[in-house]
Amino acid sequence: MMSNGGVLGTVTASRFPVRMMESGPAAGALVASYYAERLGLDRLLSFDMGGTTAKACLIEDRKPTVTGLFEVDRMYRFKAGSGMPVIIPAIDMIEIGAGGGSLASVDALGLLKVGPRSAGSEPGPACYGRGGINPAVTDADLVLGLLDADNFLGGDMQLDKPAAEAAIAPLAEKLGRSVPQTARGIFQVVNESMAAAARAHATDRGIDYRGMPVLAFGGAGPVHACHVAELLESDTVIYPPLASVLSAFGTLVTPVRFDLARGTVGGLDWDAAKNTYASMKAEAGEALEAAGCPPDAIRYVFGADMRYAGQQHEVTVDFPADPSENRDVAAIRESFETSYEAQYGLRLSHMPIEVVAWRISAHGPPVERHGMAELADSAGPPKGTRPVHIGDAPEGVAVYDRKALAAGQTLAGPVIIEERETTIFVLPGWTASVAKNGCITATRKG
Amino acid sequence: MDGIELEILWSNLVSAASEQARALQRIAFSPVVREAGDLACALLDRKGRMIAQAVTGTPGHINTLAAAGGHFVEKYPPDTLVEGDILITNDPWLSAGHFFDISVVTPVFRNGRVIAFFGSTIHHTDIGGYGVGAGARDVHEEGLWIPRAKLYEAGVPNDLLFDIIRHNVRTPDEVLGDIAAQVSSGRVGAERLQLLCDRHKLDDIDALSEEIIARSEAATRESIRKLKGGTYHGESRFDIPGGQEILLKCALTIDSEAGAVHIDFDGSSGPSPHGVNVVLNYTHAYATFALRSTLDPELPNNYGSLKPITVSAPEGCIVNAKYPSPVAARHVVGMYVPMPILKALYQVAPEQVLAEGAGAVWTFQVQGRNEAGDPFTSAMFNYSGGMGARRTKDGLGATCYPTGVAAVPIEVLEAAMPVQFSRKELLPGSGGEGAMRGGDGQIVAFRLRTKDEWLLNAVPSRLKIGAEGFDGAGAGRAGRFLINGKDAAQANKMVMQPGDEVVLETPGGGGYGLKK
Repeated sequence: MMSNGGVLGTVTASRFPVRMMESGPAAGALVASYYAERLGLDRLLSFDMGGTTAKACLIEDRKPTVTGLFEVDRMYRFKAGSGMPVIIPAIDMIEIGAGGGSLASVDALGLLKVGPRSAGSEPGPACYGRGGINPAVTDADLVLGLLDADNFLGGDMQLDKPAAEAAIAPLAEKLGRSVPQTARGIFQVVNESMAAAARAHATDRGIDYRGMPVLAFGGAGPVHACHVAELLESDTVIYPPLASVLSAFGTLVTPVRFDLARGTVGGLDWDAAKNTYASMKAEAGEALEAAGCPPDAIRYVFGADMRYAGQQHEVTVDFPADPSENRDVAAIRESFETSYEAQYGLRLSHMPIEVVAWRISAHGPPVERHGMAELADSAGPPKGTRPVHIGDAPEGVAVYDRKALAAGQTLAGPVIIEERETTIFVLPGWTASVAKNGCITATRKG
Repeated sequence: MDGIELEILWSNLVSAASEQARALQRIAFSPVVREAGDLACALLDRKGRMIAQAVTGTPGHINTLAAAGGHFVEKYPPDTLVEGDILITNDPWLSAGHFFDISVVTPVFRNGRVIAFFGSTIHHTDIGGYGVGAGARDVHEEGLWIPRAKLYEAGVPNDLLFDIIRHNVRTPDEVLGDIAAQVSSGRVGAERLQLLCDRHKLDDIDALSEEIIARSEAATRESIRKLKGGTYHGESRFDIPGGQEILLKCALTIDSEAGAVHIDFDGSSGPSPHGVNVVLNYTHAYATFALRSTLDPELPNNYGSLKPITVSAPEGCIVNAKYPSPVAARHVVGMYVPMPILKALYQVAPEQVLAEGAGAVWTFQVQGRNEAGDPFTSAMFNYSGGMGARRTKDGLGATCYPTGVAAVPIEVLEAAMPVQFSRKELLPGSGGEGAMRGGDGQIVAFRLRTKDEWLLNAVPSRLKIGAEGFDGAGAGRAGRFLINGKDAAQANKMVMQPGDEVVLETPGGGGYGLKK
């Protein structure tokens, strides 16, 4: 698994170890593109919230957005620019310090803040009963009734609700609010900061995030995704099966792929471009064959990084065929301007354009492998109800076991659906429906 | 408003200003905006008071934009504006201290009433006149002066103003492109604010703004009250291109009852004949930044948190420039403004301050012809020296303080103009010795790929007087500015020959504490 989301053979991987960096999170984004393909959605926002961080990645045209540059070894984890830049193709994702273990506090201005400080898993949130005394997001989720103290990790780990309440109480006092109101504040504030980070990430890339379906996974993702989706003006949240181990699943369903880019300077030189494409094609093809791809199953996508002369941000453009064959300048200008207009909303037709790099991407055949979804044969009843603080007074919310749901079943929010590693919380106004492939999709009328 | 609701609303305002800045940085043409982050974006309330800023840019931009807000509202009271109006100025005395920085302000309407403004200030590639550098003899030689004006009136572009700008700058496509980027980034901010108001069913943000300002002011005063009251003095010396030595002196008075600070620059150098004079707006921007960086780091930067800090300087002195003093390279002196303040604060909060550092970033602009003979004017590019050491940490090498601009990568510059760099490396040992070492400066060397004479606007500083250390530590090494191996700094534009090599050795920062 490479940082750009391709999978390659061990020989190529050992030649380019740099390309394996950050392969874990990349796998998470790939799952999103796998589901985009399976569910027929062109655009998707993957939202992976775990214990200490949340990661988001934008999927466009069913592919994760890729950047040519990312940072490693940051001095300050969440501070862009504090690390070493590495110029390789990588999945473009944002990581923020907001997870189940993120700690809440009240600052000098009397404002409720959440993260980036985290309790981690040791001592963890106060409700873990491992000595943590500071309130974390998971404590708030427990106090709100979104989590069940007796059924965390399928009941393997008992949570201590009084400890969670005791940890939140000092903040509640400073804020002049009740403990559940403060817990709801923590839930909202952490969701706001995740939504803000996703919006900023999208704005940076000139992508309109509004209306993008959200794919929620990671241990805490399904608990928070519905509200985050509302903040991002999205009407659809998809909860795939195996939410907490979805990244690992990603590596199993990703076709073999290898990308190459070669910089070019000066004016357009078609003979040089032809040579560049030929040598990149040979190299990429060799890498895929080494990974076991039959040569005739390899598909090549030709592209380029282009910009208006004088600009600094390139737009990556895919061409329908090798452009050095037809050498049709008007056609490649049209491809560029179509992409540019989609991102920036305008064309600068009087400006000259330039090619900064030629790219090729070699794809192996798609992998036929589907996630195991455990579904019941007939629609199961709720296993109970529990009080949840959605508004000021707690209300009884039906709780279902995910395994007991059947394909075609629909549930009106508010509703809670529990599985071993995570809990789905569907807000009022949303309706969840269960598909044959095991995905649960929550939607609301816009 | 409780601390939960306020946090949610406030963080959304900050995020709206940040998205405005990101959009601006993404679509700008000027490399100094794109690559160096030399921009500021802010949300102002309907009274023109800054309530949220983007996390980017420089104190010299953001705090002057905060001041510009009040000046815009004074000339254009919000109830006289109509939807589609967009305001502009580059008046040095009302905004960021020199013509290059153009501020654009977009009012946000809700139910027919102005509820806020989104403002941005960016450093443009050109503004006509003298160009980058300190060589003009008065402000009029420095280029185009745009008074407070409507760039758009009810959605209709002010053709005359656009035409005047187009005819008075050397790089009209870039300048007008960047103004368009400012306008469209204001729209991004406005859309975000409207959505926030929709979601939270707000008709305006008046109450929210009052709450933000009141809490910020109270927390700032509280933080100041922790400092020991009294008047503390600090002074700092440095030299500017042409060799003139400048003295900045400050008396910093902490009123620990009111939680207020007054900083006065009486005794500082008089006006300079070169374009390094600083308007009070800009002095205020860096003075408040220096003080606030020693207070509680949780404090936001807005109208409320700036209010308890006041700044004065004798009229006409180098840090309170009067018309028609030239001001184009005002950063050269302005970025030293924090140094005497940190020295004064050293007496009251020694663990919170830095030793003196390299000071101003060194800025450059070249004009000439490329190898094909086509004329070009580069945007400004800059390199910094070392930061002063901290009480418990070394100073950072080749990192500017107090401004927050990044160096434009040399690859980007080489792609944008016919320049060729042969060296860019740290200058080991240039930071001052001490228990904590000052940051090192750097060596940068370049030539132009040209067959013609070319012009170099270079603004180095600290070529004689190095940055002082604190607590018995050593001074940073002064910088050197060489052309073909010879010392060459001067205030004016220099005429260069093809093949001439420019070498910069930027100054090191001062150390902190006796070396054990």
